Amino acid sequence: MFDFWYFLLRGLQLSAPMAYGALGAVYSETGGVVNIAVEGMMLTGTFFFVWGATLFKSWIAGLLFAIVGAVLISLIHGLATITFKVNHVVSGTALNILASGLTRFLSMQVFGMETQSAVNPYTPPTFLRINVIAYFFIPLAIFTLWLLNRTRFGLRLRSCGQNPWAADSLGVNVYGYKYVGVILSGVFAGLAAATLYPYQWIDAMTAGRGFLALAAMIFGNYNPLYAVLAAMLFGYAETLTYFQSQIPLLSGISPILIKAFPYILALIVLAGFLGKTKPPKADGVIFEKGEG
Amino acid sequence: MSKVDTIKERIPLIELKGITKAFPGVVANDDIHLTLYEGEIHALVGENGAGKTTLMKILYGEYRADKGEIFVRGKPVRITNPSVAVALGIGMVHQHFMLVPGLTVLENIILGSEPVKNAVLDIKSARQKIEDIMQKNAMPVDLDTYVEDLPVGLQQRVEILKLLYRGAETLVLDEPTAVLTPQETTELFKTLKALKEQGRGIIFISHKLNEVLEIADRITVIRRGRVVGEMPIEEASKEKIAEMMVGKPVVLEVENPRIEVGGHCLVLKDVVYEENGVKKLDEISFSVHAGEIYGVAGVEGNGQEELLKIISGEIYPSAGEIYITDKVVNRISPMGRRQLGIGHIPADRQAQGLFIDMPLYINVVVGWHWRKEFQKRGILDYKVMRSTASTVVKNFDVRTPSVEVPASALSGGNQQKFVVGREISFDPTLLLAAYPTRGVDVGATEFIYKQLIDEKVRGKAILLISADLEEILALSDRIGVLYRGKIIKEFRREEATPEIIGLYMLGVKEE
Repeated sequence: MFDFWYFLLRGLQLSAPMAYGALGAVYSETGGVVNIAVEGMMLTGTFFFVWGATLFKSWIAGLLFAIVGAVLISLIHGLATITFKVNHVVSGTALNILASGLTRFLSMQVFGMETQSAVNPYTPPTFLRINVIAYFFIPLAIFTLWLLNRTRFGLRLRSCGQNPWAADSLGVNVYGYKYVGVILSGVFAGLAAATLYPYQWIDAMTAGRGFLALAAMIFGNYNPLYAVLAAMLFGYAETLTYFQSQIPLLSGISPILIKAFPYILALIVLAGFLGKTKPPKADGVIFEKGEG
Repeated sequence: MSKVDTIKERIPLIELKGITKAFPGVVANDDIHLTLYEGEIHALVGENGAGKTTLMKILYGEYRADKGEIFVRGKPVRITNPSVAVALGIGMVHQHFMLVPGLTVLENIILGSEPVKNAVLDIKSARQKIEDIMQKNAMPVDLDTYVEDLPVGLQQRVEILKLLYRGAETLVLDEPTAVLTPQETTELFKTLKALKEQGRGIIFISHKLNEVLEIADRITVIRRGRVVGEMPIEEASKEKIAEMMVGKPVVLEVENPRIEVGGHCLVLKDVVYEENGVKKLDEISFSVHAGEIYGVAGVEGNGQEELLKIISGEIYPSAGEIYITDKVVNRISPMGRRQLGIGHIPADRQAQGLFIDMPLYINVVVGWHWRKEFQKRGILDYKVMRSTASTVVKNFDVRTPSVEVPASALSGGNQQKFVVGREISFDPTLLLAAYPTRGVDVGATEFIYKQLIDEKVRGKAILLISADLEEILALSDRIGVLYRGKIIKEFRREEATPEIIGLYMLGVKEE
């Protein structure tokens, strides 16, 4: 029997990592820092979640650890791109590689196994059968929309991503705002990690969801609400995998194809929309004070 | 007491004393003194690279002076960053506007000084305040438009509103008319005069002498980082300022004889270029004959870029025909067209005209490497390249230690002379000259004008595209006005005045 309500909730949970990742990326890119390190930040976050939770026997500790872990990676990204003016994509790529190596290395040290941890019993509580953290991304998207459009912080962050030289000439602390944007993307990647699968750490468990989050952000045209809706499109596409047997229409299709469906969807969406979206004007541009 | 005496006794709004600033290899400002009084427009003139912008960036806190003092209303101040300058009532409109394209006019104006109520931007009171300012100064702009959708003249108005919103008493305008049409310039001057009446002080940076003489009360001329003269407007003349700027007498009027024209060298027939469904060029037809300079006037962004590219071969027309001499060249590549005899002085010498980090003897074959004299069994002949480069350097007065230095080691004017020299040296029948004197000083401009006119007299066809109306009028035999991708009007030089051309440039008048 197809349990529609559970499908809806389960979809929400599966959308959450992408939605949080996308929201974080919106902050970073609104401030003008291209952040393809979301994947690496999420992966590091998942490891830190399990580490913190098992260490302190508390899911809250796990969540805090996840945020700290992801923020650490985001700080390196900020340091590289903002302070040391490294190309944003190069830094992001390097950090994704670093994150995959770092988590395996730490796993060896912490769990004694390279590719997985023991089961972690300290997971976030559930409400209506799903991870309680998954309920917050839509309100947070609305909050983000408000923050970016109605507050001083938002106006200044947007100005940094559009024309940092103009912002600088008006006394806006461009470097500071860019750092805040990048660090917030780390915080959100930590939240994403906490909704991913906090029962156990498994190597490479993010499985490209950080990249899907970026696809969602682009598909959502850098608007937090649309980005989250795009993430839900991918999330619900993934949910179909788990409900395939219950939906007669899908039973004939190869499960491999169904599993690949969200990624194929992302590819199609990006191919169709990439040229039409409008990133912040100075997204990915290296800002040097006094130039321009 | 005479008027002059009262001015002398007033405490100046701004006083710069002994400002010195060195960058690696150059002294940009050398012991500069400058005073600005209330209700005064003070023009700061000098050639490109003379140090005007550097001085103003020091005043605005974007650079720190190595030596010297700044006084605001008689009090010594240390301006460590733009916020300090703003707090002292100093505002600056940069040559390249400092606007955020994707924000609205209102957001741009309040950015950095936002009123906040209960953690939320107080848009209502900001709007009230800005509307008051706009009304008082007769400077209306729609506050909810995105800045990227505004024409340049209005963008500049937003820049000035930004300063007034912050209560600036001293306004620094860096080459404010460079991007404006004559009509927009008139509007700007009205605004500036009104601001002056209110007792504000304005520093007006320019190298357009006509404008300086029209608007300024006092003029300071700087050359190579030093003040070479200061005078009230009554004592100034165009010749005098130009001579001070350059350091030698300058012939401002170029002699441009009209000669008997020959056959068609370039013909465009109903040329259309469409991009994403937008007609960037819309049924353009005109021709350029041997022995004439055809000038294309227009506000930037009306199709100049596409027109150049479609003639040079970087893009192909969607419809219509392009002929070079008698050959249809619609689908011929840029190199193919050069082989047919096109020379091309590109709009941006650093991006398109030169490989900036490569030596001059390599840059001399850019676009011409296919020529036989540079080939030796299919390999570039560096010996010939070196001697060709030396010839260009000698004939076109390019100031460089040798042809071995990278193009980046030359000043802008010398880079441009090198590019112009290179394109002329290979004896093209048609020369495309795009913004041939952009960012070039008066001395080099004069030289380049002479070269272009000489080429014309030798029977070459020249297509000139420029944003500088004076330049178009000085050089062209015929002038076409480009507006929204169309040539909407053609003039013979004798029929044209800046005012009439300006009206067509703005699309106010149409055939």
